[in-house]
Amino acid sequence: MGNVVVWVVWVVAAFACISSGIAVVTFSNPFYSALALIGNLASLAVLYLLLSAEFVAAGQVLVYAGAVMVMFLFVTAYLGGRADAPWAGGPTWQQIGGVLAAGAILVEVIVVIGLKAGGKLSHEAKIESGFGSPHEIGRLFLTDHLLAFEITSVVLLVAAVGSVILGAHAHARGALVERGKEAGAGT
Amino acid sequence: MQGPEVAWYLVVAAFLFATGALGVLLRRSPLIVLLSLEIMLNGANLALITFARHQGDETGQIFALAVMAVAASEVVVGLGLIVAIARKRIDLDVDKLNVLRG
Amino acid sequence: MITAAWICLVAPLAATLAITLLGQSLSRRAAGYLATASVLGSFAAAVVVFAKLWGESPDSRSHASTVWEWLNAGSFHVGLRILVDPLSVFMMLIVSGVGFLIVAYSIGYMDGDDEERRYFAYMALFVFSMLLLVQAGNLVILLAGWGLVGLSSYLLIGFWHDRPSAVAAAKKAFIMNAIGDATMALAIFILIQHRQTLNFPDAFAVGPGHGWLVNLVALGLLGGAVAKSAQIPLQTWLPDAMEGPTPVSALIHAATMVTAGVYLIVRTHPVFEQAPRVLELAAGLGAATLLMAGLIALVQTDIKRVIAYSTMSQIGYMFLGAGLGAYGNAMFHLMTHAFFKALLFLAAGIVIHALADEQDIRKLAGVGGALPWTRRAFLIGSLALVGIPPFAGFFSKDSIIASALGRGWYGGILFAVALAGTFLTGVYAFRLYFVVFRGEPSAFVREHVTEHEHSGEGPFSMTAPVAVLAVLSVIGGWIQFAPVWHPVSDWLDPVAPPIATPSNTEEALASLFALLLGLSGIGVAWMLYGARRWSVPRYALGQRVLEHKFYFDEAYDIALYRPSVALAVGLKRWFEDPVIGGSIKEFATGMRDLALGTRRIQTGLVRTYVLAIAASLVVLMVVFVAVR
Repeated sequence: MGNVVVWVVWVVAAFACISSGIAVVTFSNPFYSALALIGNLASLAVLYLLLSAEFVAAGQVLVYAGAVMVMFLFVTAYLGGRADAPWAGGPTWQQIGGVLAAGAILVEVIVVIGLKAGGKLSHEAKIESGFGSPHEIGRLFLTDHLLAFEITSVVLLVAAVGSVILGAHAHARGALVERGKEAGAGT
Repeated sequence: MQGPEVAWYLVVAAFLFATGALGVLLRRSPLIVLLSLEIMLNGANLALITFARHQGDETGQIFALAVMAVAASEVVVGLGLIVAIARKRIDLDVDKLNVLRG
Repeated sequence: MITAAWICLVAPLAATLAITLLGQSLSRRAAGYLATASVLGSFAAAVVVFAKLWGESPDSRSHASTVWEWLNAGSFHVGLRILVDPLSVFMMLIVSGVGFLIVAYSIGYMDGDDEERRYFAYMALFVFSMLLLVQAGNLVILLAGWGLVGLSSYLLIGFWHDRPSAVAAAKKAFIMNAIGDATMALAIFILIQHRQTLNFPDAFAVGPGHGWLVNLVALGLLGGAVAKSAQIPLQTWLPDAMEGPTPVSALIHAATMVTAGVYLIVRTHPVFEQAPRVLELAAGLGAATLLMAGLIALVQTDIKRVIAYSTMSQIGYMFLGAGLGAYGNAMFHLMTHAFFKALLFLAAGIVIHALADEQDIRKLAGVGGALPWTRRAFLIGSLALVGIPPFAGFFSKDSIIASALGRGWYGGILFAVALAGTFLTGVYAFRLYFVVFRGEPSAFVREHVTEHEHSGEGPFSMTAPVAVLAVLSVIGGWIQFAPVWHPVSDWLDPVAPPIATPSNTEEALASLFALLLGLSGIGVAWMLYGARRWSVPRYALGQRVLEHKFYFDEAYDIALYRPSVALAVGLKRWFEDPVIGGSIKEFATGMRDLALGTRRIQTGLVRTYVLAIAASLVVLMVVFVAVR
């Protein structure tokens, strides 16, 4: 019984995931694309839960769907959501090439999965109940993967600084640069 | 494990990746391109989580969290760029942004 | 003695270097005195060597000294080797002696010229080069001296380098000499391969059984001699070389350098004796040249050119003598010729200097009244040239003519040609004398000479050498009177034993004929130009041929110059421009086009780049899967 439920949940989530993905790529209005992405992220979170990755699923919803997509929606609203018509006119060489490349990637990856990992993929490892819990993730972050943790934080800092500079108005940007130079010269 | 085998999750991940790639290659608005890029990253994330489950090793999940953080930073910078471009009254069309041509 | 020989060689070189390095800090006069003193020092050293050599017995009169070993290749050694023997001392005395007189004369002649220092440096360089040539102990040093005299000749002919005609003449002389240098070098290569040594006299014993080899060597050496001595077919440079200052013409193109070819033949006579046909060829060329030059001299209107053709003709006599194997006689004629030819040139130089550098004999006519001593000197020189006793030329020239008698039909032809030459010599030499020095002064002369009457005929530095040379032209021949006493031939005998010794009757016969023909030549010249009883015959065709110097220049132009230029132009058009230039240009254009093509990948569009990445990803995945 449980298996059937899982199967059903999986099918629904997968379907939602794929269709929202296609929707993001095909809608001409960027606002609708952003909304579709939110749906994509939500269904992905469900899939993560099915894979016993609870913390990641939570993080996905909080960070991605909560913060990143909000930013996207803000910017889209600020820019006025200009719609472009990507499918106007006949297919150009670029478009044909793109479709071919993407299709080839898809086919190749599936073939690789089928060829190389066919047998081995059937046997998953046994996991205990704490797998994927915040406790485990936290422990790993602070012991085995501490470096990754620290570097990620540095990346976030850099992104924050960059966004401040990029976002400043022109004369304010100049003032920022000046203040930075003085601070550097004074020390 | 209950439900489909790991392979099916990977198929979904592949689909997401390909769809994202298609979006990056086909769309002209930089905003949509960023969104498609997000989809690709998510596809990769799904693959990572899947393999973490398959191996029974949480390293994959750690990696996925790092990817999420990086994706967030990249979106921040990317959106900042887009806003700066829009402020300069330049068309938001990837095909028109070709100043670095040879 | 060896030290003295080295001093003789090096003194002029030291003067050249000193004048070059001191530059402006040396006054122009001082440069002249320095050069003259160095050549005088050379002469003194040569006299010392001569005296010492004379004191030895004839068989041991050969000393060599090698200072520096240049090449050491297995059994082949070549070094800076000088040879002191009768022949080289003979030439040393002539070169340094006559050279001293002419360099001293230059002090007066070149006075006032802006570039006097350069002139004296070049003159000293020339004397050094000529001494190197005659003192050389092996063919390599001789070739070095050969090349250096060619260089000095080039530098001095083109001394007034703002005159295009002088520059062209210098180039012509150098290039024609280069042909001779090339043939000589080839001959030397053959000798190196065959004999493994180039030292005199070992290099020459090529031995029997190598007939064509010896002929090649002899031909190569003859080629060099012909070029340097301006014989047919390489004679066209000598008249043009008169563009240089008159002392240069006297020293280089009369007394010394052009006689180097004769010296070469005499020095390498063993090789020539093993190639008798080539020796006969040399004699034939000499005879042909003396006749041709004599004919051309009849119509020349430039005083220096007449004397130049006369030089060519007299060297033809020397070649005739050497080709017949009368080495001693040829060298003796070389000596007397140096005296009277230098005298003629220097006297002509006094005339030219007094008449504002005019050289056309029609304008110079009648200057004898204003320059009586010069006239007398010129008369002495002309008499010596024609070979009237008791002047110098008589004693030397007739022996050569006599040597032709013992040689069968070929000798007979040479004999006749030589005698015809003496007739022509009489005519052209005295044509020159009568036109320039006798008769009424021309308008030009009257204009210019009045200014100079008060200062004598010329500065002391110019008149003194002329006087000395005049005396030598009188008594210089008395040192050998062939049938009776012959110290010159005896002196040279150990080095170059003659293979033709005319008997006394032959000598007498030749002398008689030569004298008669010479006198009749003078008589004809008197009738035509002196007393003006006859009018000069006008044969249009003959006149034209003679004036164009037998069309040698034109022939060379058509046969050699134009094809070379056409070849060069053709090569440029068909090979260099399309193939080489084209390939370089094509290469450059190709690279540029390649770059331009590659540049189009940089579309500046992010989508293109992403597509490229995606495509490579596709390919790489296949590769990855296939490899693993």
